[in-house]
Amino acid sequence: MSKFSVTIEIMPIDSVLDPQGEAIELTLKNNPKFSVSNFRVGKRIEFVVQSKSKTDCQKIVKDLCEKFLVNEIIEKYKIKIENAKN
Amino acid sequence: MRKINFGIIQFPGSNCEQDCFYVIKNILKQNCTYIWHDSNSLKKIDCLIIPGGFSYGDYLRTGAIASQSKISLKIKEFAKKGGIVIGICNGFQILTELKLLPGVLLRNHSLNFICEDVYLKVSNNKSIFTSEYSNDDIVKIPIAHAEGNYFLNKTELNEVKKSNQIIFQYSNPIGQINQESNPNGSILNIAGICNKNGNVLGLMPHPERVSEHMLGGIDGKKIFNSIIRHFSA
Repeated sequence: MSKFSVTIEIMPIDSVLDPQGEAIELTLKNNPKFSVSNFRVGKRIEFVVQSKSKTDCQKIVKDLCEKFLVNEIIEKYKIKIENAKN
Repeated sequence: MRKINFGIIQFPGSNCEQDCFYVIKNILKQNCTYIWHDSNSLKKIDCLIIPGGFSYGDYLRTGAIASQSKISLKIKEFAKKGGIVIGICNGFQILTELKLLPGVLLRNHSLNFICEDVYLKVSNNKSIFTSEYSNDDIVKIPIAHAEGNYFLNKTELNEVKKSNQIIFQYSNPIGQINQESNPNGSILNIAGICNKNGNVLGLMPHPERVSEHMLGGIDGKKIFNSIIRHFSA
């Protein structure tokens, strides 16, 4: 069994209004110092998986995302898998 | 007439269960028990209530962690067999995470926690939960939530319209459904929706808070009375 460090980045899908991103953008509109736009606010989850291989780990994490960590009606996600340091 | 057995699920962080219990037991004079989230069984229950609150701190997404708890499997089984389930506020959020109801509840459009009386139009009085109302009745029931902005994709929206699943819609006092009468940004002003089979209802407003005159009205009581009527029919 190997250990893998997993990072999941979860973002609201484009068709869902993101009021947090909107609030940030609206505030910054009053500040001429920054020329910034298209804010979207998401979340990042980190954890460790024990599995036979990286492919196996990928399968486990995908299943976990679909069943629990992500609600695909409103969210999209990216998985990053690295060998765990210890 | 036999007494109906209501069961109220308690998660860590539920905080409206006692209000529901009081209404069922003291006002409606029915049987009522609490069911802890860690239980394996639902006992002999006719109707399950999933109350409001902040189950498991509403971490990850509202209702997401509750949907993975031990009792949730039993709730799913019960609902799939046709058992009557009503989810209020956080209960509604849990039911969508359990996929017993379509859609999802997003952060309110204003980002504010909203606690106020709202008007609702009874859009479907043919359901198990609304038979005591007349169609297009306007009722006043309070809301108290930060995540009540109901969202559905287009396909699902067409589906729920076609199957008459929309039960309550936010309106003004004369029943107009528009942007001004929408407190949280919900699609089509949806405040309450049922599943295709009609045995599971989720709603953001709190009917248990308006079930006796002393508290300002009895508009919510009819939901519970409708359920009782269903069993005595």
